[in-house]
Amino acid sequence: MKLDRKNFLAATGAAATTAVVGFPAIVGAAAEPIRLGTVPCLTGSNALLGQQEHEGIALAVEEINARAGKVFDGRPFEVVEEDATNDNQSAVAALNKLLGENVVAVVCPVLSTQIQAMAPVMKTHEIPWMTGGTAVKNMQLGVPGAFRLRASDAITAAGMTNFAVKDKKAKKVAILHASDAFGTGGADQVVLDLQKLGMTPVANEQYPKDAKDYTAEILKIKQSGADAMLLYIQNPSDTTIILKQIRSLGLTIPLVGSPSLTNQTVMETAGKDANGAYGAVDFIVGFNSNVATHFLTAFYNKYHHLPDVGTGSGWVYDAVYMLADIYKKQKSTDPKQTIASLHTVKNWEGVLGTFTADSEGNMVHSVSIGQIEDGKLHLVKKVSG
Amino acid sequence: MSQFDLVANLQLLVSGLAIGSIYALVALGFVLIYNAVGVVNFAQGEFVMFPSYIAATFLLPAVTVFGTVVHWQLPVIAVYLLVIVLMVGFGLLFNRIAYYPLRDRGWLPVVISTIGVSIFLRNAAQLTWGSEPLVIPGLFNMDTFAIGPLHVRPQDLVIIVVTALLIAFQYLLFERTTLGKQMRATAQDRATARLIGVRVGRIVAITFVYSALLGTISGLLVAPLFTVTKEMGALIALKAFAASIVGGFGSIPGAIIGGLAIGVIETFGGFYISSAYTDAIAFVILIAVLLIKPSGLFGERVAEKA
Repeated sequence: MKLDRKNFLAATGAAATTAVVGFPAIVGAAAEPIRLGTVPCLTGSNALLGQQEHEGIALAVEEINARAGKVFDGRPFEVVEEDATNDNQSAVAALNKLLGENVVAVVCPVLSTQIQAMAPVMKTHEIPWMTGGTAVKNMQLGVPGAFRLRASDAITAAGMTNFAVKDKKAKKVAILHASDAFGTGGADQVVLDLQKLGMTPVANEQYPKDAKDYTAEILKIKQSGADAMLLYIQNPSDTTIILKQIRSLGLTIPLVGSPSLTNQTVMETAGKDANGAYGAVDFIVGFNSNVATHFLTAFYNKYHHLPDVGTGSGWVYDAVYMLADIYKKQKSTDPKQTIASLHTVKNWEGVLGTFTADSEGNMVHSVSIGQIEDGKLHLVKKVSG
Repeated sequence: MSQFDLVANLQLLVSGLAIGSIYALVALGFVLIYNAVGVVNFAQGEFVMFPSYIAATFLLPAVTVFGTVVHWQLPVIAVYLLVIVLMVGFGLLFNRIAYYPLRDRGWLPVVISTIGVSIFLRNAAQLTWGSEPLVIPGLFNMDTFAIGPLHVRPQDLVIIVVTALLIAFQYLLFERTTLGKQMRATAQDRATARLIGVRVGRIVAITFVYSALLGTISGLLVAPLFTVTKEMGALIALKAFAASIVGGFGSIPGAIIGGLAIGVIETFGGFYISSAYTDAIAFVILIAVLLIKPSGLFGERVAEKA
């Protein structure tokens, strides 16, 4: 080609156009955000759990997006959030809406009842489903990409039951639980664990959703002559009221609760009524790794209050980091590849401890038993599944 | 009957009467507004929740409001007075915004407007105070005390006594004062009341204020037992609504008896039948009463209200 003035101008113009239009287009493609879906219960009576989930995810995403290279190749996370509210129908509707948003993975609401309701929709989308609901059944619903980042109730219930019977020498165990999937599933598990020890519960009481007075349930347990009470309750406000009423009705037997009993909010709001209560715990401050210490500090600096690590913000923080680590390693967000990678997770260090995937998708295999004293939790023993 | 059973029954009775008293107070709020303007106020539960949050904001040493921690801890009496003053304003505002502009459009727009206010208030509460439940102290800073083997929460007694006093006050107000008679006249027939010189608009506004104050008192009474959450009023209001129907919608003694009955029956039912069915029991009673006596226990004949 002859390089005359006309050709030169054309060539320069083309190069300039490529520089102006094409180059940012290439950069733009590289920095395309990774759309991460979340469906916390942001409104309704479980809004506290949703808020904790929202805060944990936001912290992890902020940290990852602030590091050099972001998730990988300069691609940041972009959170797409839908409100699961307080009921199962709304959770399913929120999920359907979310799935229209081109997300590559979803962090599910912590409520097992909502996970079970969402399962038929989850089955139709082969993407990673990061869950924190602990009902045993959650991982047996045939959802290909489902993973659980907290200990299953099989481990928790066995830990609680064995602690009450073997350590606290209980001969007559009573159960008090919520009537949702979490409470019922947990109570069923406790009954099975008691059977293994040759026992049956002397009382097995459930209360309806949003109940406010528990005199009838607590009195029945008192009348049963129980010498220990196991509690399977998710909602922090319910737990606080129940602890107050147990004390005010003069029941002084040992209480051993599911992880939500030792929820940070419960410890703060129940005050002295929570003193002495035991709980199976995902996490105890003071017995943790560098990851956990960093999480606690960063969380407090951002939100000016302590996180609820187990049921609230910790597991979602782990979920986001685990996905980020896998995406970075495989340099891709391909859902099928990610699910395969998640199945091979072994000894991954997170806030809640060490994660190793089993065939069902369970990642955490131990809990601790802690005791509440003046708003603080003390480690009593560790329990492995 | 063994001695323990007697104690258990007394314990159930105290708890049942306490929760029933709250249903009764909220049911009264429903009934008064229904009588005055002919609509059911679905924001009645939020009349319980909202003042509880305001009280918590000024009673607790540290409360997060709009993401900022405030330390406005004031003496209990000052807080109660402040909440009452604010809720008088709230009642007037509610009347002005949710009812007054729609008063000539029939009952449906007003009912929908009250549902709207209810949703608005619940979400406003979440945005203002967040989702953490708040715990406010009771009127007496005193733990449970024991009468023999019976454990009594002082707050339960406060609830029962305050409700009884309020019912007595309301009786005197309606039977012995001009204002009360004007309120009754407005409730019975607004057009005639207006003809005989009752300022109906003002009486309706006063009814909304009084109803808001009943909610406020219920809120201040139950908040120490139930924790303050944005949902706290919703279930109470649902039961109170059922109570006012059982009692006969529009009947004041009916609302009181209905509230107490539902509270006591659901507590005993939870104990003797199954606690899983506590809510179901309340609504089975409701259906049974409606089947046997459609106008409720103390209700007027349906034809009169049609």
